[in-house]
Amino acid sequence: MTPQADLGIFAISLAAGLIGALAGVGGGILVIPALTIGFGVDIHLAIGASIVSVIATSSGAAAAYVRDRMTDMRVGMFLELATTTGAVCGALLATVVAPAFLYVLLGLVLLGSAGMHMARMGEETPPTGPPSKLASRLRLESSYPDRKLGREVPYSARRIPLGFLLMWIAGVVSGLLGIGSGVLKVLAMDGAMRLPMKVSSATSNFMIGVTAAASAGIYLGRGDVDPQVAAPVALGVLAGALIGARLLHHVSNRTVRLVFLPVLVAVGIETIARGLGFGI
Amino acid sequence: MTPEKFRGLVSTVLIVGVAASAVLIGAGFAAALAVGWQGSLIGSAASAQSTTDFSNLPGRLATLEPAAITQLGLAVLLATPVARVAASVLGFALERDRLYAAITLAVLAILLTSIFVLR
Repeated sequence: MTPQADLGIFAISLAAGLIGALAGVGGGILVIPALTIGFGVDIHLAIGASIVSVIATSSGAAAAYVRDRMTDMRVGMFLELATTTGAVCGALLATVVAPAFLYVLLGLVLLGSAGMHMARMGEETPPTGPPSKLASRLRLESSYPDRKLGREVPYSARRIPLGFLLMWIAGVVSGLLGIGSGVLKVLAMDGAMRLPMKVSSATSNFMIGVTAAASAGIYLGRGDVDPQVAAPVALGVLAGALIGARLLHHVSNRTVRLVFLPVLVAVGIETIARGLGFGI
Repeated sequence: MTPEKFRGLVSTVLIVGVAASAVLIGAGFAAALAVGWQGSLIGSAASAQSTTDFSNLPGRLATLEPAAITQLGLAVLLATPVARVAASVLGFALERDRLYAAITLAVLAILLTSIFVLR
């Protein structure tokens, strides 16, 4: 890599970290095509670098989100049970299932959910009501401090079995295809479990690092993590995630939805493209 | 353990992991700009090992190879979420939340299995 290329990769990674921290995703959506198309990096090394970027976004942003009570640690840990189990199933399935069809299917699902996401666009906080028995039992009810609204916003998780199932599927998908895990997590928490958007994003950020770490050893052992590519990516993403995590407090839930929408659409299109054999 | 202290513990684990990896990756990257990715800061013979090969890390760290320093930083970064889950097990246990201590312990077990067994 030339110093100019290093600088370019750093800059794009910084943007990926910033968007990722706000939207609750790993930033692979930006990093992978930028590396392959922009800098001619081999696709395997680009995916290896994107695993690094996911963990950097997650750890960098979550450090602040956990402290500031934006991350719901119980929701996160409970759902990680689903995602890690799913990821193991996905990794085992990977040798049996032809992924091309699955890429296209996932892409279509994501584009479809973009429509539902748009329907919720104007909603600042989800409707509240008494917590379900399961939510009380699992203690999946809490509140978060919303500095933009200037008040504490209470919430309780709804449709917990559906959320758990969607999280398991998110785990399978990330174990099988290695992508899309962040967007699916945000969709499951915001759309199905009706957690506030910022809590969904911050909790997804908290979780994606664990999902990525589960498969990081595989990529490392395969020789897909190249410091020459991964170093500028990691440094850029960390810087971006730290900025993004500060920014979240100053924006509304609507703004976070607005940032998430193009990410969702882009992941959908990129996933379909990959299924159809375009190596991006 | 109070919820605030619990959050402090998990947050601290993440900050330490991120800071340590950023320093190592940054130092390795800066060193690579100076002597190249195949070089060594103490000027010993250039390593023939590919930068994607993480084996023999202690030996190559001893000769201050930029690639090895960066690799150590990346390894610390990749281990940070695992350390975070381990800290959460401790936190829930100290909070005497048996249900969540068990859930988190299960997550840690699945995570370690997938890292060390499925490869």
